[in-house]
Amino acid sequence: MTNIYLPHLARIITIQDDTYDTKTFGLELVDAEARNTFRFRPGQFLEIAVLGVGEAPFGLASNPNHPEAFFVTIRAVGSVTDALHKLSPGDIVGVRGPFGNGFPFDEIKGKNVLFVAGGIGLPPLRSLIEPMLDARSEFGDVQILYGARSPADLVYKNRLKEWETMQDVRFMMTVDVGDSGWSGNVGVVTTIFPKADIIVDNTVAFVCGPPIMIRFAIMELLRLGFAPANIISTLERYMKCGVGKCGHCAIGHKYVCLDGPVFSYREMMKLPERVV
Amino acid sequence: MNQYVLLKTDLNRWVEMARKKYRVYAPERVQEDIFFAPLLGPPESEFLTGLAVLPYLPPKDLVFPQSEILFSYSREGEKIALTVPDQETEASVLLGIRSCDTVGISWMDKFFRENFNDTYYGRRRDNLITVTIACNRPIKNCFCVCCEGGPFLDPGKNSFDLQLIDMNDRYLVECNSDQGETLINLDPALFSAPPPDMEAMRNRLEEEARSMFLPEPTSYMGTAIRRITADSVPSEVWTELGERCFDDGGCTFVCPCCSCFGVGYLAHGSGGCHYRFWDSCDYSGFTREVSGHNPRGEKGERFKRRFFHKLSYQYVKKDGRIGCVGCGRCITACPGEVGMPTVVETIRRSDTGDSSKE
Repeated sequence: MTNIYLPHLARIITIQDDTYDTKTFGLELVDAEARNTFRFRPGQFLEIAVLGVGEAPFGLASNPNHPEAFFVTIRAVGSVTDALHKLSPGDIVGVRGPFGNGFPFDEIKGKNVLFVAGGIGLPPLRSLIEPMLDARSEFGDVQILYGARSPADLVYKNRLKEWETMQDVRFMMTVDVGDSGWSGNVGVVTTIFPKADIIVDNTVAFVCGPPIMIRFAIMELLRLGFAPANIISTLERYMKCGVGKCGHCAIGHKYVCLDGPVFSYREMMKLPERVV
Repeated sequence: MNQYVLLKTDLNRWVEMARKKYRVYAPERVQEDIFFAPLLGPPESEFLTGLAVLPYLPPKDLVFPQSEILFSYSREGEKIALTVPDQETEASVLLGIRSCDTVGISWMDKFFRENFNDTYYGRRRDNLITVTIACNRPIKNCFCVCCEGGPFLDPGKNSFDLQLIDMNDRYLVECNSDQGETLINLDPALFSAPPPDMEAMRNRLEEEARSMFLPEPTSYMGTAIRRITADSVPSEVWTELGERCFDDGGCTFVCPCCSCFGVGYLAHGSGGCHYRFWDSCDYSGFTREVSGHNPRGEKGERFKRRFFHKLSYQYVKKDGRIGCVGCGRCITACPGEVGMPTVVETIRRSDTGDSSKE
C-alpha cells in the first residue's frame, strides 16, 4: 500500500543560478520504476525534503511533456530553502508528489491566454506556458506580461529572450526599479497593462506572484472586464503533508494542497477568509 | 447485529481471556484523573457501569499517537536508506470507551482512511477492537445528544464492534462486527441469548438516558451550524471569543475529532528521522509563513477557523457529521471557559434575527 508520507529519493542533476537568491534544480528520481512512471500536470507541486532538515512545497516549473527532466525554481528564504541552496549536483533529496489540482489545459483550448507573472511567480506558470507553446496552434492569442523588482530579479533570462523574439507570443516585461543597463519598462507589472493591448474577449488570465501583486493584477483585470471565473491564480499556505491531513493549509473547507493550489478568482471570493 | 447477555460476575473472566491474546486498555484512576491505560489485572469495575466516565484524554492516541516517526534515514557513503517503523502493532482491545469517543474514532476513520489513505493510522486502527459501554446516566459536561454522539450507539447507524448496556447485574451485549464476534468467541459459554423483553428494556434505558439532558437538546447546535455555514456570525463575536482563548491548544488535544499535526525533523550523525506530532490551529504559528505573513495571525480568526471546521455544513458534507461528539472535554480543558457549549450559546445569543446574509 502506498505510504503517503514516505518520499522517493531524488538526485540533483543540475543547479542553475537564476538570480542572487534563486536557483533552479533539475532532479531525477533514483528509483527506476518511479522515474519511468513519474508524470505531472501544469501547476502541480512537489514536497521536497532535505532529510533531517525539513520539507516544503514547491511548484513544478518545467514542461510536463518532459517529465523525465523536471525542475523546480527555489528562492532561499528559510531553513529548508537555505539548505537546498547549499546542495550540489549529485546530492540526494526526498520528493513526494506531484500533488494539487494544477492549471486547466485541455479545458481552455481554443481560448486566448494571458499570463501575468511577478518575480518568482513565473516558475509555476512556466509549467503551463511551455506545453502551450508545444501545442501553440490549439490556443488563440498568447500573451505573457512579466514583472520583477529589478533586472537582477528576473528568472530564466535566456528563455525570456526567446519568448521576446517568438512571432506567436506577445511578450512584455518590466522591473519596479531599473539599473544602468536597463532600457526597458519601469514600474510594477500592472503599469504595462495600458500599452499591452490586452484582449479580454474569450481570454483566460493566469496570475502568479507575490500576494500584493496578485491582488493588484486581479483588480486591474476585473476593471478591464475579465469575469472572475476567467482569472486563475494560485494560493500559497504554510503546508506540511500535501495530502489534506495535517490541516495547516485549510481555508474554509478547501485545502490548498488538495483543492488548489490553483483557484479561479470566482472560487477565491467564495472562501470565508480574504485570500487576495 | 447479534445480541447476548453477559453476567457482570463473568466480566473479569472474559477480560482475563482477552488479556491473554490482546493488550487490553481500560479507564484507570491516576491520582485525581482517569486515563485509558493497559490493564495489568482486572479492570476497575466502577468505570464499567452505566454512569458516564470520561477519561481526561480521548483514546485517540491509540490510533493517532501524540508523536510518531514517519520514517528514519541513514547515510552510508553515497547510499541513503529510508526505513518506515515496524508496521506490526499489537492487537488491542479498548474496554470501557463511551459512545462519544467511539463516534470520534469513526470520524477519524473516515478522515484518515479516505482520499489518501494514512497507513500509519490504518495499521493501528485495524488492530483495535472497541468495547463501548452505553451511558445510562450522563455527567456534568456531557452533551452527546446534541451531536449524535450518544448516549447509546445505534447499531443501524454507528459503526462499532461491541456495545455493553448496563442492566444492573448483567450487560446486554450488542455485537456489530466480525471483530466483535471474535471477542465473544474467546469464551462463548459466558454469553447467553437475551430474553425477549430485553430489547424493550434497552430502549427504555436509552430513552431515560436521553431525557436526562436539557429539553429539546438535539436542536441546540442548529443555530450555530446555520450561522457558521452562512458566515453570518459578526467578526466582533469571534474577536470576543478569541480574547478569552489562551492559545494553549488544550481543546484541540483533548478533542476526539481534532486531527491536525505538524512534522518535525531530526538529524544526528549520519542519520535522522521525520516525525509527526499533534499540532493545534489555536497556535499562531500554525499558519505563519516563512515571510512572516500570517493569514490567521488574529486570535478571533483562529477561533472562527476552528469552529468553522467543527460545525459548518461545508465540513459536515465532507466528513459526514459535525466535528464534535459532545464529550465535553474542551469545557474541562479550557482555562478561558470557551468550550464548545459556550461558543454555541454565544453564537445563538448574537443572532439578532437579521438573516439577510443567510
